[in-house]
Amino acid sequence: MPKINVDGKDLIANDGESILNVCERNGIYIPRYCYHPSLSVAGNCRMCLVEIEKMPKLQTACSTIASEGMVVKTDSEKVRKARKDVLEFLLINHPLDCSICDQVGECFLQDYYFTYGLRKSRFKLENKNQKQKRREVGEYLVLDNERCILCTRCVRFSNEVTKTDELFVNSRGDRAFIDISPEKGVTNKYSLNIADICPVGAFTSKDFRFKQRVYMLQTTKSICTLCATGCKINIWHNNNTIYRITPEPNIYTNTWMCDDGRMNYKIVNSSERLTHSMINGTEYNKRQTVKQVFNKLSKAMDDKLRIAVVLSNYLSIEDNISLIYLAKNVLKTPYIFSIESNQQKIEDGILINSDKSPNSNGIKLLVKKYGIKDISEYAEYDIVIGFYEDIKNLRISPVKTILFSYKKSSYPCLIALKTYFETDGSFINWQGYLRKTAKVVNSPENTFDLHHFVMEVSHLFAVYPDFNFKGIIKDLKYKEEGQ
Amino acid sequence: MKIILEKELFDIKTYITNGGYNAIKKALTMTPQSVIDEVKKSNLRGRGGAGFPTGLKWSFIPKDKSQKYVVCNSDESEPGTFKDREIIHKNPHSIIEGMIIAGYAIGATKGYIYIRGEFVREARIIEKTIYEAKESGYLGKNILNSGFDFDITVVRGAGAYICGEETALLESIEGKQGKPRIKPPFPATKGLFSSPTVINNVETLAAVPYIMIMGGEKYSRIGKEKSSGTKLFSVSGPVNKPGVYEIELGLSFKDFLENYLMGMKDGVKLKAVIVGGSSVPVITADEAMKVNLDYESLSQAGTMLGSGGMIIIGDDQCMVEALYILARFYHHESCGQCTPCREGTGWIYKLLSEILSGKCKEKDIDLLYEIAENMMGRTICPLADALSMPVMSFVKKFRNEFDKHIEGSCEICQR
Repeated sequence: MPKINVDGKDLIANDGESILNVCERNGIYIPRYCYHPSLSVAGNCRMCLVEIEKMPKLQTACSTIASEGMVVKTDSEKVRKARKDVLEFLLINHPLDCSICDQVGECFLQDYYFTYGLRKSRFKLENKNQKQKRREVGEYLVLDNERCILCTRCVRFSNEVTKTDELFVNSRGDRAFIDISPEKGVTNKYSLNIADICPVGAFTSKDFRFKQRVYMLQTTKSICTLCATGCKINIWHNNNTIYRITPEPNIYTNTWMCDDGRMNYKIVNSSERLTHSMINGTEYNKRQTVKQVFNKLSKAMDDKLRIAVVLSNYLSIEDNISLIYLAKNVLKTPYIFSIESNQQKIEDGILINSDKSPNSNGIKLLVKKYGIKDISEYAEYDIVIGFYEDIKNLRISPVKTILFSYKKSSYPCLIALKTYFETDGSFINWQGYLRKTAKVVNSPENTFDLHHFVMEVSHLFAVYPDFNFKGIIKDLKYKEEGQ
Repeated sequence: MKIILEKELFDIKTYITNGGYNAIKKALTMTPQSVIDEVKKSNLRGRGGAGFPTGLKWSFIPKDKSQKYVVCNSDESEPGTFKDREIIHKNPHSIIEGMIIAGYAIGATKGYIYIRGEFVREARIIEKTIYEAKESGYLGKNILNSGFDFDITVVRGAGAYICGEETALLESIEGKQGKPRIKPPFPATKGLFSSPTVINNVETLAAVPYIMIMGGEKYSRIGKEKSSGTKLFSVSGPVNKPGVYEIELGLSFKDFLENYLMGMKDGVKLKAVIVGGSSVPVITADEAMKVNLDYESLSQAGTMLGSGGMIIIGDDQCMVEALYILARFYHHESCGQCTPCREGTGWIYKLLSEILSGKCKEKDIDLLYEIAENMMGRTICPLADALSMPVMSFVKKFRNEFDKHIEGSCEICQR
């Protein structure tokens, strides 16, 4: 554990730790382009130069390992001058048309220019290098070589994280540019991370480009519900619209996230979205829906029909608890089933889980707590209540079903649900961590929170539930971050 | 006194009849450590340009049983330098023997010769030399029944100057783009294929057999105390006898010019000298007449011995044009990794071409100097410095010629 001195402060470094990391841990920010905490050190941008006593040249903080007794200056005159010069070099061939660039607001060139630059350009406009302007690269990315500063973060990402080696630096000197292996193309499932880590406007997201300036957006922390991995995410939204999703890097689950997860928000305003409940081809508002379903269920109970309720690995713990309540306390049926999920494992070695349901582990705990049977013991029932995504895979006659859904489909009785961008819910991911989604946008008027729906139907049956979700969840065996 | 180029020892027979491969026989009777000590005693310094003590470099290699490599840097591509080519033509076996000794000293069983892509004929010579050495039992398994194995592979470059930088060279051998690595780790601990590696210049390795035969002590008495031995200079420019010369270090430039190069051509006066290859600072004729050709004297004069690629510049050469040609080279050869070099070399080149054609103002000359200053010492490898140093010295010492270009009154190049 070497002791070093940075800007007059005595700090203790871990063995083998770089100066940049020691500083970062202690709140001293060192500017950087090529350095990224989750990628190997390239040391090529030269922005993180610092002064170290007894070393004649400035050293890159990202690649210099802290050793006993080092005296480091991160903000001396010499250092500031060097950074200003590096910034000038970076900008001479960079287009200076920020107003029409999508990176504005999260551009490292802009940010550092205000800290270190503020020098009039000494480079003649007509001498600027011209490179290929925007072009589509893969399904989700747009690449503008002229804006690129060749930090090689994207190249290292494709070499080290996805290991697909799609990107490389072609040519050399100031003719160098990022290129794509012709036989490969950018086809990996994590390509949008490249737009995130690109410190400038070279790689941008085709989906997000020019939809909104980032400084107009608010971010809300939530989780991705597209598979059992349950990545932590940031949802960027404004005026009741979601514009993009980015990962919220954490040591427990994810640094990155997959492209499918990022596109998941599209269901909110998709043309497939079920905005009204649909029963036998007629759209109903909320009040009418509750009435219709009540009529159907009470008639079934009077006729002594057998009603089954199927829990869903796709729905939150709260919603599943209310389904159990509906079955036990309202419909008084013993037929409650759960569905076994796929085996849980990270199928690509990065993040994507072979179990596509976000809450299998939460349901497993409920199954244990309430002694619920597996669907394999399912016989024939007269009415089946469940979630559309589950039931569509089972061989059950559609006429018998009452289904909750976000999506339109041909099933005769569909109750419109809020998505987990529109309501809160608790999920337990494959590692056993309990995490919550967050409501970031308002739902369409006639969609339900599942537990509100159960509540209202119960009221018509003259049953008055008092859900104690917090209490029940507290009793479940889950892990919390930090454990 | 000549050592390496004393005689033409092109094939193995003449090499052996002139005492060739006796050095390896002697070395094999010694311990590896005493071979290193012998080289240390000789004070031999790396002849590639940096002048790092060779024995010291070898002693950094860990003394364990892990895989190690000897690499011969034959990627001679600095403008003005063509001394290694001469060794390959005249005395190729000395390189092979030097490598075997180096391999024995550091415990390596595998050597690579990285040879410049344009050296087609030279690559053939090296291949033939290795073949001859193998046939005679000096390469391969169990060399001279000593139990020591050593083999050499020739790797040809693809035309990048930067691959002469030792870590870029290693990357290139590994099949990657020739881009210098961050140091540390140095090649002595993590070099080729992540194993400890010694990288020496052709001339350095060629001197090793003679050191072994002669003894380090005796070799160190050639030349000067801190600059021992002989050194090859490849001389180009308007002198009467340009070419490759092997001289004892410490010879005065004046003596060298008058008695070896036989003076300047008729009608041309000496204006400036680039002593050690295009990357070192230029010195004026007056300065040149006072220096000796050794590491210390040249360093005192603000330049470097470098690779010994001496470029003589006469008064019929416009300095702005000369610098422009250099800048074009470095702009073309920058690998593009580090920001200051990638952008700076291009900027300098563009600015110089404008100055040359008189499209600039006086403040642009200051800008030129400042760009070079801003590139200096801020990159992974010394390629940025290799352009900064000439630019800064040219501007400082020949400012009047730059001014003339601004005025449009350069009488030499008539622009």
